[in-house]
Order: sequence, then C-alpha cells, then structure tokens
Amino acid sequence: MLTIHLAIIFPLLAALFVPFISKKFANIHIGWFILSVPIILFLTLVQFIPSIAMGETYIYSVPWIPTYGIHFNIMLDGLSLIFGLIITGIGILVVLYSIYYLSREEALTHFYIYLLLFMGGMLGVVFTDHLLVLYAFWEVTSLSSFLLIAFWYHRKMSRLGAQKSLLITVSGGVAMLVGFIMVYIMAGTMSLREIIALVSTEPGPSLADHPLFVPAMLLILLGAFTKSAQFPFHIWLPRAMEAPTPVSAYLHSATMVKAGIYLVARLTPIFGGDGLWFWLVSGVGLITLLWGSFTAVRQTDLKALLAYSTVSQLGLIMSLLGIGSVALYFGQGPQSVLYTQATFAALFHLVNHATFKGALFMVVGIVDLGLGTRDVRRLGGLMAFMPVTFTIALIGSFSMAGLPPFNGFLSKEMFFAAVLEAKALSIFSMETWGILFPVLAWTASIFTFVYSMIIVFRTFLGKYKPERLEHEAREAPVGMLISPLVLATLVVALFFFPNVLSQYLLQPAMETIFPVLATENGLIYTIKAWHGIDATLMMTIGVVLVGTLLYKWRTWQGVYRLFPERFSLDRVFDHSLFLIEKGSSKLTRAYMTGFLRDYYVYIFLFFIVVVGGTYLWKGPLPITLLQDSSVEVYEVSLVLVMVAAALAIPFVQSRITAILLNGVLGFAIAFFFVIFRAPDLALTQLVVEMVTTVLFLLCFYYLPEWKKEPAPTRTKVINLIIAGLAGVLFTLIALSVNSGALFESISPYFEKTGELTGNNNIVNAILADFRAFDTMLEVIVLLIAGIGVYTLIKVRAQQKGEADLEN
Amino acid sequence: MNNIIVLPMVIPLFTAIILIFFLSYVRVQYWLSLVALVITAALSGYILELIQREGILRLDFGQWPPPFGILFVADSFATILVLTASIVSALILIYAYYAGQSEHDHPRFFYSLILFLVAGVNGSFLTGDIFNLFVCFEVMLLASYVLITLGGRKRQLRESVKYIGINVLSSWLFLVAIAYLYGTAGTLNMAHLAERMAEAGPTPLITVISILFLIVFSLKAGLLLYFWLPGAYSAPPTAVAALFGALLTKVGIYALFRIFSLLFYHDPFVSETLLGIMAALTLIGGSIGAVAYNDIRHIVAYNVVIAVGFILVGLAIATPAAIEGSIYYLIHDMIAKGLLFLLAGTIVTLTGTGKIEEMSGLIRHYPLLGWLFFIVILSLVGIPPLSGFIGKVLLGQGAVQAEAYLLLGLAFLSSLFVLYSLLRIFLNCFWGETTISEGEETPLRKGLIIPSFILAMLMFGLGLGAELLAPYVKEAAETLLNPNLYIEPILYQ
Repeated sequence: MLTIHLAIIFPLLAALFVPFISKKFANIHIGWFILSVPIILFLTLVQFIPSIAMGETYIYSVPWIPTYGIHFNIMLDGLSLIFGLIITGIGILVVLYSIYYLSREEALTHFYIYLLLFMGGMLGVVFTDHLLVLYAFWEVTSLSSFLLIAFWYHRKMSRLGAQKSLLITVSGGVAMLVGFIMVYIMAGTMSLREIIALVSTEPGPSLADHPLFVPAMLLILLGAFTKSAQFPFHIWLPRAMEAPTPVSAYLHSATMVKAGIYLVARLTPIFGGDGLWFWLVSGVGLITLLWGSFTAVRQTDLKALLAYSTVSQLGLIMSLLGIGSVALYFGQGPQSVLYTQATFAALFHLVNHATFKGALFMVVGIVDLGLGTRDVRRLGGLMAFMPVTFTIALIGSFSMAGLPPFNGFLSKEMFFAAVLEAKALSIFSMETWGILFPVLAWTASIFTFVYSMIIVFRTFLGKYKPERLEHEAREAPVGMLISPLVLATLVVALFFFPNVLSQYLLQPAMETIFPVLATENGLIYTIKAWHGIDATLMMTIGVVLVGTLLYKWRTWQGVYRLFPERFSLDRVFDHSLFLIEKGSSKLTRAYMTGFLRDYYVYIFLFFIVVVGGTYLWKGPLPITLLQDSSVEVYEVSLVLVMVAAALAIPFVQSRITAILLNGVLGFAIAFFFVIFRAPDLALTQLVVEMVTTVLFLLCFYYLPEWKKEPAPTRTKVINLIIAGLAGVLFTLIALSVNSGALFESISPYFEKTGELTGNNNIVNAILADFRAFDTMLEVIVLLIAGIGVYTLIKVRAQQKGEADLEN
Repeated sequence: MNNIIVLPMVIPLFTAIILIFFLSYVRVQYWLSLVALVITAALSGYILELIQREGILRLDFGQWPPPFGILFVADSFATILVLTASIVSALILIYAYYAGQSEHDHPRFFYSLILFLVAGVNGSFLTGDIFNLFVCFEVMLLASYVLITLGGRKRQLRESVKYIGINVLSSWLFLVAIAYLYGTAGTLNMAHLAERMAEAGPTPLITVISILFLIVFSLKAGLLLYFWLPGAYSAPPTAVAALFGALLTKVGIYALFRIFSLLFYHDPFVSETLLGIMAALTLIGGSIGAVAYNDIRHIVAYNVVIAVGFILVGLAIATPAAIEGSIYYLIHDMIAKGLLFLLAGTIVTLTGTGKIEEMSGLIRHYPLLGWLFFIVILSLVGIPPLSGFIGKVLLGQGAVQAEAYLLLGLAFLSSLFVLYSLLRIFLNCFWGETTISEGEETPLRKGLIIPSFILAMLMFGLGLGAELLAPYVKEAAETLLNPNLYIEPILYQ
C-alpha cells in the first residue's frame, strides 16, 4: 500500500525534475512529459475501484514525528477515491489542454512545476488520514494556487489576485489548524479514522459535550469556507481568474476549491447531527449559492461569470452536505436514510460540476485565446465559425442550468428534493425557517439558468462583431478540443448511466461519510431521470419559465444598481488592508519617536507602574532599621553633600561644573568605602574617579558647546515625578532587602580564605581565585571597549582623510 | 565535572584574541574564525549527546564547590541553543567574508568582534551563576556596541548612541537586581538560588525583585520594551544585523526562560499573568509595526519582535507542550531570522535602497534569492513541513490545554501579519516588471547566496527531521519544568 504514498510524492518529485527535462528536450513542449504523471496516477487509482466498491479501505502509515504522534497516514476509501479520480482525471485533460493553450515562449518550467506541486498537494489533502499532514498539504495547494495565479507576475492584477487568494486561504488554513489542535485535545488523536471510530462507536457522552466542540467546529469551518470560496470569503475566487485558463479550469473550479467540500464531507461523522453545524453549512451554502448566481448574471467577463457561477455551485454542494448531516441527528432509521440522500446528491453534483464546469472553462479559454477577448459585449454569432466549441458550450451550460438530457438535470432535481425534505424538518427551528430553503434554492436556480443562457447565446448566437475582436473567429485546433469534448461526453453519459457512477464510487463514499448508517443496508440509491410529475419537476419547469422570461426581459437588471461596485466585499477587503497599513503606520510612529529620552521615560514608567503597583498591591515591604548600626553625623553630612551635588547637576550651565559635581559623587562614595573599612575598594574608586574626570576634561577641548534643549515645563515636571518615584522605589526596595535577608549569606565561607587559597586578602582572593573567571571576562570587556574606541578614532581619521580628498 | 563544556565559550574567545595578531591578514582571520566556529558547533553537538547519556554536565571553575565558585552548567536547553547559535554564526561569517569586498571592506577587528559576541552568547547560555551571567552579557554587549558602530556611517552612529544608552541602563538595572537578590537570598549560584527561592516561597520582596529581573531581560529580549530594537537592528551592515537578529534577543529570551522556570515560578502573577500580558502586547505591537513600514529593514526588524512575543507565550503558558513548542520555535527562529536578515540585507545591497516601492522584478535576475525569500516567509508563517511548523503546533496545543485562548488567538493571528508584511516585500520587490535592463544588474556572488541556501536547507531539515531533535527538546523542556532536575546534579553530586 505504499502505492498511495508514492502517488502523492510522485508529482512532487516529478516537479523537481522539470527543469532538467526542459533543458534536455528544449524543442519539445514540456507538457507532453508532464502528461504522463496524471495518466500514471489515474490508472493506478482506477485499479482500486473494484475493491473500494466492495467496501474495502486501505490504510498505511509512515512515521514522521512519532514523538508527537505525527504520522504520514494514508487512507484510501470511497470518498478519497472520488476526489483522487477527479484530481488525476481532470488533471490529464487540463495538462493536455494546456499544451495547446500555453505557447513555448511562456515560462513553462515554472507553470508545470507549480501544477505538479498542486497535484501532489491536492492528492495529499484527500488521501491523508492525519489532520496535521492534511493541513500541510492543504497549505501546499494554497501556495501552488498563489504561484499559478501570479503566473504572469508582471501584471499588477495577477499579483493582487494572488495576494488576496493567499491571504484569505492561508488565514482560513491557520484557523483550521487551531481547530485541528482542539480536535486533538478533545479526541486524543489526530488520525481521522480513529476520531471517527471514536465518535461512532462510543456510547454515552460524545465530543459534542466538550466545551471545545463549538470553537473547533467554527475554526475548521472557517478553513473549509475560505478554501471553497463560500460567502463572504468568496471574493478571492473571481480575482483568481488572472491565472491562465487551464489553471482556472483545474484548481479554481474542479479541484482545489472543492477541498473545503471534501473537508466538510470528511468531518460530517464528527460534527454532523449538531444544529450549529447544520445551520452553518447549509445556511452559508445557500447564501453563497444565491449571491454567487445573482452576481454571476451581472458579469460581462466570461471568466468572471464562470468564477461566480463556481462560487454559487460550491454553495449548492455545501448546502446539500449541511442538509445531509441531519441524518446523524436521527441515528439509525428510515428518516436518517432519507436525509443522507442530500449528501449523496452533493457527491453526485460534485462530479457533475467538475465535468460541465471544466468543459465551460476550456471553452472560454478557446474563445479568449482565439479572439483575444472574453467580454460578452464584444462577442456574438460565433456558432457558425466554431461549431464544435459551440456544441460543447451548449452541453455544459444546459447541464449547469439543470436541463435534460445532461447530468446537471439529475443532480439539480435531487437538490430540489433535498431542500423540500429539509423544509419538512421539525428540528433545529426548521419549523419556522425551513421554508427559506426551497425559496432560496429555487430563486438561485433561476439566476443560474439566466447566466447559463448568457454563456451560450450571447457568445455564440446573435450578431458577429468582427470589428470588436482582435483576431478573426476560427475553430480551435483539434488538440485543444479533445479535453472539453471528453468532458462534454461525460456530461451526457452521466445522464444516461448515472448508476454506474453511483454504484462504484458514490456509494462507497457514502459509507465512509455515514459509517454508523452503513450497516443498515439503507445506503443504496438509484438515480432516476423520470420520477413522475412531482414537486421537483414543477420547480424545474418553473425555473425554465421564469428564467427565460428574465433572460429575455432585461430591465430587471436595474436592481444591480443597488449593489454598486464601490461597496462590493472585494473593495471593502482592499480598503481595509489599506486602512490597516495607514493606521499601523500612524500608531507605530506615534510611540516610536526615535528619541532616547522618550525610551528612558518608557522604561522607568514601566518600572514605576509594575514594580510600584506590585509594591502597593502586595502591601508595603517590611523595613526595619533596628539592627542597623547607628548613623553618625559625618555620614549624614556626606550624604547631604552627595544629595546637593546630585541635585545641582541638572541646573548647572557648563560642562566642567557638571563633571566636577559628578566627581563629588564619586569621591563621596570612596569616602563611604573608607568609613566601612574597605580600603582597597576606596582606592579603586578613587583611581577610577580621577581617571574619568581627567579623561572628561581632556575631551572637553573637542566637544561642541553644551546646549540644553529647551523643554516645556510640563515635560520637566513629568520627568521630575518619574525620576523621583523611580528613586524612591529603588531606595525602598534596597532598605527592604537590607532588613529582609531570608537566608544566611554564603560569604562566611570566604572568610577562611587564608586556609583555602593561601591569600589572606578576601577581596583579592575573590577577584583572583574564587571568581577569577569573572575577572578574566571583565578584562576582555575592557579589551573590547578599547577596540571600540580605537575603531571609532580610526573612522574619524578616515572620514577626515576622505573629506580632505574631496576638498 | 567535564572540562569540555567551557570550550564553546573559550574557543571563540581565545581565537578572537589570537586574531588580533593577524590584523592585516583578512583571509587568515576568516579561516581561523570559521574553523573555530565549526569546532564549537561540533563540540556542542557532542555535548548534547553526552547530556543524553550522562545527564546535566557541570564544570566548577577552580574546583570551588558550588555554591561558592563560578560554574558552567550544560543542560539540553542551553546546549541546543549553543549548537544553533554556533552554526548560524558560522554561516553568517561566511556571508560577511564575501560581502566584505563590496560592503564595508572588512573593518579591522570585525572577525574578533564576531567571535567575542559568540563567546558572550555561548557563555550566557552555559553559565550557572547569575553574576557570571551578567559578565557574559557584558562581553556580548560590548562586542555588539562596537559591531554596531563598525563602519561608522552616520545612521549607525546615531542608532548606536540609543542602543548603548538603553543597554547601559539595563545593565545597571541588572546589577541592582543581582544586588537585591544577593541581599535577600545570600547566594549567586542559580541552582542554590532556585533551592532557596523554593524554600522561601513568593514573598512580596521576592516578587518585586523578580519583576526587576523581568524588566532587565525584557529589555534584552525585546519583550514589550522593544522600542530600541527596530532602529538598532536596521542600522548595521547585513552580516552584523543578521547576527543581532538571530542571536541577541535570543539570549534575553533564554535568560527569561531560565530565570522564570528555575527561580521565580512561585508567584503566578509574575510568571504567568504579567509575562502573558507582556507577550500579548509584544505580539500586537510587533504585528502592527510589521505592516506599518515600507522599508525592508524595518519590516524585518518588527518581525523579530513578533517572534519574541510568540516564544514567550510558551513560557507564560508553561505546559510541557508549550515549552517544547517554544524551544523548537527558538531554534527555528535563530535560523530563520538569520536567513531573513541576510536576504533582506542582500536585497538592500543589490538595489541600493530599502524602500519596497522603489524596487521591482528582482526575481528575473536573482531567482534563487527570490525563492529563498519565499521559503523563509513560509517558514516564518509556520507552513509545514518547514521548521516553524512543529513549534507552532506544540505551542498551540499547550495553549489549548491551558485554556489560554487569548494568547492562542494572538499568537496565531500574528503569523498572518508576518505573512502579510513579508509578502508585501516579495510581491513588490521580486515580482512585477524588472527595472534593470539585461546585463546591467549587479552580479550576486555565490559566497553571498550559499550561506542563505544552507540556512534554508536547515529549515527544511529541522521541519522534516523534527523527530531527530525530539529527545533533546523533550529533555530540555523537562529540565525547565522540573527545577529539581537542574538543582540535584549541581548541589548534591
């Protein structure tokens, strides 16, 4: 079973070899080599269909960071197989199509590296069983999508589109990661299979009672919604249309944007049956469906139209998964099986969408490449020139609109059936709100019908306008038509033989989504095109009638004026980024003044607030002066001299006086050393004082005049308060330390210095023996300081030299 | 007792002094210092392995038994950092050598100073005596003072005055704090201090003293008190800035971890609440700062601040998973910040400007540089399988376990700001139309890109091979969380 591991790694490894191949075979379009990758993978996966259909699941584990329970686990079951086949199958067609779409002058090496990176990442997402590894591959797909959107990175719009998509999808990814971590804390494992086993077998309290259940759900859904372009995170998808069209067909309609759908389906056994999950998934799905289809109608750029249409269709699938999750609320029983049909419809529509939307994107690519525009206002009457392309477009659009005899009709009817079932629910306050489901679904389907008609009729019928095109209309080369033709064939084939798909792929997938219900023998579905004249059929007929009316009679489109571009979510997003930058800049510059004085104020303020606050809060520290020796008059007078000198420094007008006053402080300290009978310290202090004072005086000659910066009185007062408080606090703590020694000091040990070191001078012994290492390092500190002074002098000399040269 | 553990400090120290005798032989200086750093790295790897076998190692200088003399203590936490610091500085040294010919033409004491800096850093990691920690800090700081002025451009001198001013103040605070601590506890040996602090419990006085230490190390680490950092880190030449970005704040972070897990963990107000608030504010301030500027050097410097907040979240939470996450992230951040500063500096050198709006399309001429920059962004954001991932996940786990949701949210949100701030550089500088015509670009020498390439490979290695480090990280976290594991081998063996 290492096969699947290899299947994920194969495209990633192949990506490494792309540069070498392209160098070696410079005169062959490198896409031909790349084509072999999805073909091999597809054929490998196809072999698994029979055994998976028999209900088998393949699991294989390779340890990555076993200490933290991170394993590269592979799980091949019904659900992942569907996605695997879509990824590799559409992959083959897209690569083939791209060979004709991208000329050899383009940066093909990059293109195919990114594409292979994506393929590996996407296969990784659907085949891994470990949540963290899944996250890893999830981000790989976001990144490769980013790189592909910015494939023409010299265009500003490409860069902005790429940036937007990365910001939104990675933000969602990060939220999802936190959600996964929470799931891990709840379930104690990161293996999907184990978590699902845990929730489906354990009787009694489930994860739903855990306080982290709801936050985890919300965070994970954030990941799924951003990736699958659900409202209001959908704004990145239309911007992503800056990518070359094969990328749009592959990543941004057939595969990557369905990663969120995959995740929701995969996690349904864990979160499904919960009211919040139901409302979020189906509600957001329905809103996305409606908003996407409504916005699609107003687009004039065919690619943008398809992008919004994809948003809307993803919403449709999402809402179906939401409705299907209700089945888990009911547990085993006929009622639950009824709702699993919605999930079944979701999976079916997922496959259908990949086929008809892939075909449509390729059609738009053909038009765009052939005529130099994809603006519907400039297109028209192409049917005569491009009959094959037209046929494909017709099949694709009609399937999307939900018309027979195409696969979209089947899944659309199942969708209507599902929303009607949802209306009948009597849980989760659906008694009150349930009616919204069919209403929203039906309204959205009308818009879907309208934009589907726009694609076919406004592009291919009507008046041909050669003067508004860059190139003359002409049928595309055969190579470019193969891929969309294959997809269009599938669209029709799936209408006539849907149950082949159902039996071999959809049902095994259903069993993985509803492991509890799988034993019931209830999860068998047959898809029928005709099921009598019932509500769903009436809804479809209604859609066609109203849709045709709206398509013909355009005045209603004035409604769009209520939603001006300026206030679109897209613009709001851009504007908030701008505001964040401006605001941050303002805020940061306000406190990062660049003045040392301000920074000192911050430090001391922090000290005063935190230390002073603690001091007050914990109660004043005990200070006892009883055991202290009495203070003599000469000591008091020394202190008074020091205080006077210190106070005078800020007020003196010349440097010399300041230095001398500073010297007074130093000499007074030396006196204290003498009084406390530390003659060697006193000596050292005296030497240091003298040397520094002399050095200062020597430097004076070179220093500019001492100018005091005038400061307003308020600042001075504040500074005074800060300085005063800091001084008081330090003194109080020092006094408290002096009276609050908790332990015997280690110093008596050093009093035996004569015995220990043969040196009777305790200070010497400490400096040169007990703590000789410190002394050595301090010597080095002096050495470095010396080097510093030396280099600075050198710099000065050098600069002077340079200045002289310039003069 | 094992003499080997002094070598990671002494080898760079002595080499630095020897180099002074070869001032005019740049090549000799370069090779000697590179060899010294490589040996240091190899030795620290060996020490790390030795600790696994023999437990925590110590060396009493002059055979004076603890707590009376100075000693070095090598536990896994310290040694991992020594190892990483040595490797990263060796790579930055290579960059410096090749950059020298164009940038600042090898200031005379450059290599000595770098080795002094590394010696100070390694010494700070290894020492077991709090006053010796102060001295090692001084060695490191003095070297950094000189390095920041080296070259003597006006901007450097202006920033160095502030940098030195702040650090002199914080050193003074450090000294005062040590004096207070010694006055209260009567000892300087960290294990001994730990024992006495545990015995005394959180008296108000000890809490106040611990806050003083918090201020001191926060200043060094750039935790909340980071205002000096962006200026100082954006002024010096590339290699020096990279060393600063990779190593200096990490020493402060190390000290915070050591002191607040060993000595002052008794008062949750300081070790959890206060640290947590400061980490949170650092994350916010750093994130805001990172998107506020258009100058690469500033953006990069604020990214240092974000990482400081991120790592300290782990200490504030202090569950095993969070601490392990912090350690992983600390290692990752040394490598990634070194790389980020090298790349940012290279961009500035190549284009002659730091403003992102003044450059465009660099990837056409410097593809490797561009992709390395892209990789470092991903790694800093925590995209798997790069090195930032495992630390981030473990930290997240710890935060959820400790129910520290605010910190969790801020820590993960900050990575989006990292992404946005660095992505702006990538989009503006590397993509877009190139402004340099064919053949007119400044050539990028191999010597400048190879160290960055190796650093990027290390990030992949650390991410994919996180398992290899796991036993050491686990042990490091265990020692941090159980002070007795640290005290025992020092005072009772």
